[in-house]
Formats: sequence, structure tokens, C-alpha cells
Amino acid sequence: MAYSTSGIAGLAFAALTAVFLPVLVGSQWVLIFTSTACFALAAAGIGLMYARLNMVSLTQVGLMGVGGWVTLRMNHGLGLPFEFNLLAAGVVTAAFGMLLALPALRMRGLYLALITLMSAGGIEIVLSTFRFPNGGEGFWGVMPSVAAPFRRPVLAIEDGAYLRYAIVVSTLGMLLIELHRRGAPGRAWAMIRRSEAAAMASGVNVTLYKAWAFALSGLLAGLAGGLLAGSIGLLDAATFRAPESIMLFALAVVGGAGSWPGAVIAAILYRVLPALFNDWGLNPDLALVIFGAALLHAIMTAPEGIAGQIRAALPRWAK
Amino acid sequence: MIELEKLTVKFGGVTALDHVSARFEKPVSGIIGPNGAGKTTTMNVISGFLRATGRVCVDGVDLGGLSPHRRTRWGLRRCFQQEQIADDLSVADNLQVLLDALPGTRTEKRADLDSALDVTGLSARADTPASELNTYERRLTDLARCLVGRPRLVVLDEPAGGLGPSETAHLGDLILSIAVLTGAQTLVIDHDVDLISRICEQTLVLDFGRRIACGETAAVLEDPKVRAAYLGIAEEGA
Repeated sequence: MAYSTSGIAGLAFAALTAVFLPVLVGSQWVLIFTSTACFALAAAGIGLMYARLNMVSLTQVGLMGVGGWVTLRMNHGLGLPFEFNLLAAGVVTAAFGMLLALPALRMRGLYLALITLMSAGGIEIVLSTFRFPNGGEGFWGVMPSVAAPFRRPVLAIEDGAYLRYAIVVSTLGMLLIELHRRGAPGRAWAMIRRSEAAAMASGVNVTLYKAWAFALSGLLAGLAGGLLAGSIGLLDAATFRAPESIMLFALAVVGGAGSWPGAVIAAILYRVLPALFNDWGLNPDLALVIFGAALLHAIMTAPEGIAGQIRAALPRWAK
Repeated sequence: MIELEKLTVKFGGVTALDHVSARFEKPVSGIIGPNGAGKTTTMNVISGFLRATGRVCVDGVDLGGLSPHRRTRWGLRRCFQQEQIADDLSVADNLQVLLDALPGTRTEKRADLDSALDVTGLSARADTPASELNTYERRLTDLARCLVGRPRLVVLDEPAGGLGPSETAHLGDLILSIAVLTGAQTLVIDHDVDLISRICEQTLVLDFGRRIACGETAAVLEDPKVRAAYLGIAEEGA
């Protein structure tokens, strides 16, 4: 398999952040960067659907909630190690995403976006009604006030190590996308994007490959949600409300769908910028104003987002 | 042998195809007719994009029950009026898409792909992104995709649309070589009567969704009914 400059830069970026971030920043920021790594993975899933298939998914953060719920449920229900719980979260969320895809597969554009938004709303209602398991009795496993302990991966008990763990999982997720892009699914997706008639005439099973994209994007959202659950061992339903899904989609477009820097930029805007404003004594909601302006900017002048603009500014050898 | 049997397609009150039957036995055959005659509709029925009453049989296989992508896997290849090349894939990957859906080893597929690129003269452009191709190269890439994966039936919808005379002549030669190289039967739809009369031994003429003539191309083009409908020459005594 050929190595691209962008791929090497991505691995180097992941290695540098994994090595230095936990050492250089304070404990509060370690948590913020951990959740940034999680949201970068989820944003990469959005970018995959949008850049490869022109499909607008407005339910990604909701799906993260599903992954988080599964991880917490497994953690408090069974004695399995974190990795199993995380994998289960990915698989269940992928299946969930595929289930969602079934009615959505016949829809395009705005109608598909609306269906995904409605499912985000549905997930929001279920999660805010039943909340996340914290070690209580029964299926929903919720007990008031206190929470049972969360078992982190053996390799990553400390917050700093867990940040590294999250960066590694996030990087593996993005490599999985790249593997798809270079293989038969990537070629099939490119044909579908050209036109569904052309794809069918090329022998591509359009339904299968669209559902596959939904499943892959769901898998990444599930892993991201599971990782986020491990960050402080608790999740709050407010994190996964439907407007958050819309916000993350908008930022994925601003950052640049379809490339790793785009997903990272989206997550930084989503997580780090509000935290910075908070640090500077400004209202974190000010970030929303900036997001709005950035979205207008992206739609009008930068179809490939900020990542595309950075790439265009690089010298030729670095592309 | 391609057999069309009583194909009928209705769009609301409009009858796009009206009991069209034809049998093509030559390696390269053509379908001509004025705009709206039902040429592309026929092609869409053959490739499974449109449902029709009647039957489409190729070499004794009834294609009726197969979805479009299964027809492709069976051996149907199709070019659209507007070439359908994915811009973000390389020329080779545009062909590889089709091979991905078919059985076979990696080496066999690679050899198949290379020979298709060789025939169409695209070998040097194999790794070029399709977005960098000119109109003719895009058309050739589309045609090259029809050559891979052991095609049995190749249907080309206005392959020479938008091409210059020398390119059209070259494309005509390539279409003639399809049968020799792959053994597939080819069906060409075009407005260009010169191209059709040069490459197609047998031709079906449609007008307003009805068959008005079918047979040896030269004879068909001399048919007074065809001249009246297609060439705009008044039928004698009419």
C-alpha cells in the first residue's frame, strides 16, 4: 500500500500529540483534549458520509450517545475489560446506524438529512428520559447521585495515559476509513457519487454500499461515544442532544469533510474553542457566533473547508 | 443473439415503446431513430433501469428478473449518453470498480484491466485522475470499462456524441474491435447515420416508440418509411 504525504503527516501528528499533549497541558485540558479526540473520530465518520456519498448525517452525536450507553451498560453489568465494552459499543452502534439506513436509503439530500435529524431527536428523548447507566439496578441501571466506578483500560488508568489511548483509537478509526477509501468500497462510493445509474451499470450494489457507509460511520460514532464514556466514567444526556449533531456536522463541513485534518479541526472548534473562551473569561457561547461565520465562509469560499485551504497553501512537495 | 420481444413502456399517457420486437444476430448492430423515438428507453429496458412488459433475451438468457447491477455481473456493459466517469478515481480505478464486483484473482483482473487500457490507448494514463482527462479520453475510459470482466453484451448510447470526425472514426474502429476481442455482441445507438452505416451490419429503426424497420443496415436506410421518418424525406405518393 502506498503512503501518501497526508497519511504520514497524520500519523506524525497523532504520535506528537500522543507523546506531548498529556505532558504539556494541565489536568483540566487533558480531559478536554480526550473529548476532542473522541469528537474528531465521530467527525471523521460524518466526513466519510458527506465527502464520499454526499449524504448528510445529522445524527452522529446521537449515535455517540448510543455507543456511550452500551459501554456504560456493559461496564456496570458485566466484568469484561474496557476493550470488549468499547468493541461492543462500536458493533451495536454500527448495527444501529445500519438499521437507521434502511428507511433512509431511498431518500436523498434534504429528506435523508431530515430522517437522520429525527432519529437524533428520538435518541435524545430516550437518553434524557432513561439517562446513562451508572451502576444501578435493572436494565437501565440508573441510581441517584453516586456512581459505581468505571474500569478504564489496563494500559490507560491515569488521565494522561487515557488521552493517549483515545488518540490511538481515534487514529486507528481514521486509518480504517482510509483503508476503505483505497479499496473496493471507496471505488464503489466514488461511482455512486458520480451517479447511482453509473454505479449500477458498473455492477455496484448501491444499497449494500450505502448501508455499509452508514454502518462504518456508526461504528466510528460508537467507538467515539465509548471512549468518551471512559473519560470521566459518566455521561450526561445533554452532551448528545440533537442540536449537537447539527453543530458537529456543520463543523465537519467547516473543517473540511473527507480528510483527517478536517475532522481534527472540526473537533478542535467544537471542544477546544469554547474551553479557551471559558479560560479567557469570555462566554463559551461566543463560539457559536464564530461557528456561524465560519460556516458561511466555508459554504461561500471554501468547499473543502479549512483543511482544503491549508492544503492549497502548502508547497507542492508537501501535498 | 439479442432478442427483444414485444417491449412496451408507458409513461403515464405516453407510450414510449409500443410492442417493439427485434432480433439482433450480427456482432455489431444499431438502433436509430429521431429524437423521442424510444432509443434510450430501449437501452434502459435492456439494462434494467426501466420496467417494461415483454422480454429481453440474450443468448437464450432472459434478463427480465435481474436487477441492473446483477445484469452487469452477468456480462451486460453500458455506456451512457453522458459519460459516467468518477472524477476522484484514477482511470484504472474507474475500470477496477467493475472488476471489484466480479469473481477472479487479483492477477487475472489486473491483466484484464491492462489489456482494456491497452486497446483503448489509455495505458499511459492509467494512474491519471479522471478529472484531468479531456472529453475524448473520458469517452474512451467509459468504453474501456465496457471491455473488462468478460462482457457478453455491450450497449452504447450515443458513444460519438460531442466528438469530432477523426475521434468518431477512431471510436468506430474501437467499437468494431469489441466483438473480436471479447466475443461480446454490441448494440449502438446514435444519431450519426454515417457511423451507424459504417459499423453496424444490422439496424433497427424506431419512430414514436414503434419499430418501422429492422434488417441489414444498407437495406434499412433505403427503406422509404425510414427515409420519411428519420431523414425527413417525404414518402413517395404520401
